Amino acid sequence: MKKIIATLAFVMCFAGIALAQDELSFERKQAIDSLALEKVRDLSKYVKIVGSKETPFSEANRVIDRAEELFMSDAEIGVSSLGSNQITYYRVRKYFEHLMRLNYDRVEIEWYNIEYVSDLQRQPDGTYVGVITVFQTFRGYDQEGNLVYKDTTKKDITVYVKRKETQIGGRTIGFWDVLLGDMRVKETTNR
Amino acid sequence: MKSKITTIMLVLLAAFITLGGTTSCKSKKRLAKEAAEAEYKSKVEQAIADLNAILDDETLWTLEEKEARVQTIKDWNLQNAEVDDLIFQVEKKLARERAQRDEEERRAAQEREQAAAVDVVLGRNFNSIANAGSTSQANRVINETLDMFESPNTPVLLIIKQNAGFNDYDRPTTIEKYLNYVKDQKKASEKVHDIKYNANGKINELELIKK
Repeated sequence: MKKIIATLAFVMCFAGIALAQDELSFERKQAIDSLALEKVRDLSKYVKIVGSKETPFSEANRVIDRAEELFMSDAEIGVSSLGSNQITYYRVRKYFEHLMRLNYDRVEIEWYNIEYVSDLQRQPDGTYVGVITVFQTFRGYDQEGNLVYKDTTKKDITVYVKRKETQIGGRTIGFWDVLLGDMRVKETTNR
Repeated sequence: MKSKITTIMLVLLAAFITLGGTTSCKSKKRLAKEAAEAEYKSKVEQAIADLNAILDDETLWTLEEKEARVQTIKDWNLQNAEVDDLIFQVEKKLARERAQRDEEERRAAQEREQAAAVDVVLGRNFNSIANAGSTSQANRVINETLDMFESPNTPVLLIIKQNAGFNDYDRPTTIEKYLNYVKDQKKASEKVHDIKYNANGKINELELIKK
């Protein structure tokens, strides 16, 4: 009996050490929380640049490449409008190409209240998964500068943060890879 | 008769003392000579062992400690052919090591100096790109900055957090992508942490850290 108890204590002790090694300190967790939020803020700038009619085509295409790198390869972005209850989901590149071709003379896109609705939580495979919500106000203007369309959409973006390694200058560098998943439309209003 | 005997006794005593003293003195000299020879032999053996160890890189001594050891051995003035030959070889080896280290220190100092200057230029350029009035103005500074690098694909590491000597990094990028990122996001929120150069003085690795 004593042997069994001693073995169990030994196993639990090692399990505890392993668990402690997986746990991130508060400061490091905060750093990856901020990193993921920053990626969503970066995305908001890319949306603005591609949506702007003043952005040269080559620049817009370069920015689409950068925006695509923020997402997981199979991620989709939802698009809604006030005139329809339907939400259309596009692959990231398709979404940006659609955004670039919108039939307005001027477009203003603003993202705000970017925050976590579900904190990053560690999954059994070591990936941290969370959900960030954003509010997007879209304004479309005609040739005369009149506002012809406006809506505000609440969107939820799933974020995945995973520890990865790469070789740089003969050294192994461990890094946090933040990837955005699907961007789901939660609500669209005319506010 | 009695005084004769006394005189003979005194002469014998003096002779005994004299002979005995001489024998004792000779013995002391011999012992001293033997001790000196043993000490010399020990020093020669020690010198040969130490010098061979230095030659074969089998010591944990620093360059200064090795140089001090050689000086000590030279100061012993052993006048031994084998030791002299080893000293000659070791001095040549240490001179090479000294020259190599001096060169490394000179290069490191030069890199530190260069890095300090480059650090300032890069920081200024990042701000110029972030605050550029137009895309073409930002692109001009980007091209100027790219000239400082080995290639547009030079890796850029981004430290997001330093904790107890451990760095947490963002996904590594390239200098071209990073500079365009600064332009797109209109923010220069990182500063130079470390710079590595190639033989032509071009940056071949850049490490940035969140301000």
